[in-house]
Amino acid sequence: MPFLEWIRERLRGGSPPVSTEETATPSPAEDLISTFSVDVGHGSFDELHLNVTGSIHMANAEKARKELLAAIDAEPLKNVVLDLTGVDYFDSSGVAILLELRRECSRRGNLLNLVNVGDRVQGLMSLADLEGPSREAILEPRPLPNLLVQIGDGVLKVHATARDSVTFIGAVITGLWRDLQRPGRLKWDPVWKLIERSGSDAVPIVSLLSFLMGAILAYQSANQLRKFGATLFVADLVSISICLEMGPLLTALIVAGRSGASYAAHIGTMQVTEEIDALKVMAMDPVRYLVSPRVLALAVVTPFLTLFADMLGIIGGLAVAVLSLDVTSTQYINQVAKVLEVDDILKGLCKSLAFGIEIAIVGCLRGFQVRGGAESVGAATTSAVVTSIFVIVITDAVFAVLFHYFRLV
Amino acid sequence: MEARPRGWFPFRAVAGGMVREQTPRTSWSVPLVSVRNVAAGYGDETIIDGVSFDVAPGEIFAILGRSGCGKTTLFKVMMGLLEPYAGEVLIDGEPVVDVVGEAAEGVLRKIGVLFQSGALFTSMTLAENVAFPLRNHTDLSEATIGSLVRLKLSEVGLAGREGSLPAELSGGMRKRAALARAMALDPKILFFDEPSAGLDPVTSAELDEMILQINRSLNTTMVIVTHELPSILAVANRAIMLDREEKKIIAQGTPGDLASSEDPRVKSFFHRRPSGEAT
Repeated sequence: MPFLEWIRERLRGGSPPVSTEETATPSPAEDLISTFSVDVGHGSFDELHLNVTGSIHMANAEKARKELLAAIDAEPLKNVVLDLTGVDYFDSSGVAILLELRRECSRRGNLLNLVNVGDRVQGLMSLADLEGPSREAILEPRPLPNLLVQIGDGVLKVHATARDSVTFIGAVITGLWRDLQRPGRLKWDPVWKLIERSGSDAVPIVSLLSFLMGAILAYQSANQLRKFGATLFVADLVSISICLEMGPLLTALIVAGRSGASYAAHIGTMQVTEEIDALKVMAMDPVRYLVSPRVLALAVVTPFLTLFADMLGIIGGLAVAVLSLDVTSTQYINQVAKVLEVDDILKGLCKSLAFGIEIAIVGCLRGFQVRGGAESVGAATTSAVVTSIFVIVITDAVFAVLFHYFRLV
Repeated sequence: MEARPRGWFPFRAVAGGMVREQTPRTSWSVPLVSVRNVAAGYGDETIIDGVSFDVAPGEIFAILGRSGCGKTTLFKVMMGLLEPYAGEVLIDGEPVVDVVGEAAEGVLRKIGVLFQSGALFTSMTLAENVAFPLRNHTDLSEATIGSLVRLKLSEVGLAGREGSLPAELSGGMRKRAALARAMALDPKILFFDEPSAGLDPVTSAELDEMILQINRSLNTTMVIVTHELPSILAVANRAIMLDREEKKIIAQGTPGDLASSEDPRVKSFFHRRPSGEAT
């Protein structure tokens, strides 16, 4: 039946037509399972004669294995003769069973002899290294070393990672310092491209999320402030929290998810495809060629995006204040102008500059740490985002302490 | 056998002008690449140990061996991508040091490398790839760089594909484009890592022909890491063979010498026989 007709039939609610032949014959797998059998034949007093008939196939291998092992177990003191005359099909699983039988026999000090081995079985056995050393439990996970060794390995790994990270950051700083001393030698084309990709392309998502964040903050706080008849103070709360914390933090998280991950994946893939090696043999320092433009791009872009986030966050608060609280837009804007100082905005921008530089360095570092293939690139990308978020929050905490210490708050 | 240059003037008159004398490929020449007692590996595992050889100017030198014998490790050491445990590599008399340092720039300007995968920058067009070393290491104008890019790409048979991205090309074309980039700065030495890997026999033969043509016309010294027998026999002047167990050179000489070697390991390699059947 043509496929389309079959579909139409199904849509009409009819059952799929089944040919009588299909119902009559069992599936090939069932057929193969049912054909295997082992008979104990007549052997001498110290010999167990087993006649195997039918097929040994991946589908029935487990059944065959159990039956054969049970037959051997029943006569543990006898040498085994396995007669394969009746075997009509045999695949690699059969060879695996024969190897196991041989191991079992030799463990008991008995011999396993194969008789009437067909061409196919012989061909398969000749491919297997039957004389090679038996490697048991190769699929088992490797046993873990003792706790002390594991701790030692962990410490060495942390030490190596810390050393690599410090070396990398040192190389980035010296590279940047040299580039900034001689800006004419820096290739600005890639910097502009990166600014466009990491900056202007991120404006829509940053705007949308910060608008919503401002609106949510206003809405949540309004419920509490309404109890005191102080709904106008929504403007204070939204503007200060957005400019000092939420704006820089939200922007940094978006930049880490977009640009940090992209830098790690890009550089990681370059590592896999030997492009980094190609740069090195062309006497190009990959750190200066790949990292400096990225650090510069994010150092420029993140504060600008934060400024956008601040504005849109305050507008989000305004929208909620006007639409669902009894506050006019003039009142809201006047209140914002009264409480928000330039200092607050500058503090946020200062933090976002640090966040941008950190995200670029972490993303690039994770990219350079890629070894191997696709899996490693994926891990580097994930790690770039997670590490960036961690570093961002730590830096935010450090800034909070510094601002407090220098009485800037 | 080619003639040695006569006197101090390295040109000879031919109908219609002068041509540069070919530098002789003989062992008495001052070596352009000198590998001295190099031992290298990864972590605790030593892959090669006590490897020494010289490559004369103008020579096509092949490094042979079975998979895992340390060809690529030696290749990386020669370019400074891997720091050896012991020994040193001299290129034109200068040691190859950590390639990221500025000290290595002088040495690296003398070499061009064709990686196994080509290693073209995937985000750049072919023209930008070839222009990359020219833009970064010369003060040439964009117009001159443009002409040079067209010239280099036409030399490898890719004229008209300047605007293509590497992903739009076949494997053979990518290799040729990578060769054009490697030759962009007219290096004294070209290194090839498995140039024929993954190519069909015809494309592989065309690449061999291109290698010979470049060697003949520019007298570029070439070091080729390979295990492709037809390529070795077609292009190499001299070869060394590394061995996985011994971790060092087990045979050296012309490909003809190696092919007639009595060493069972060399024999198995050159007669494409499993290692146990080299009799």
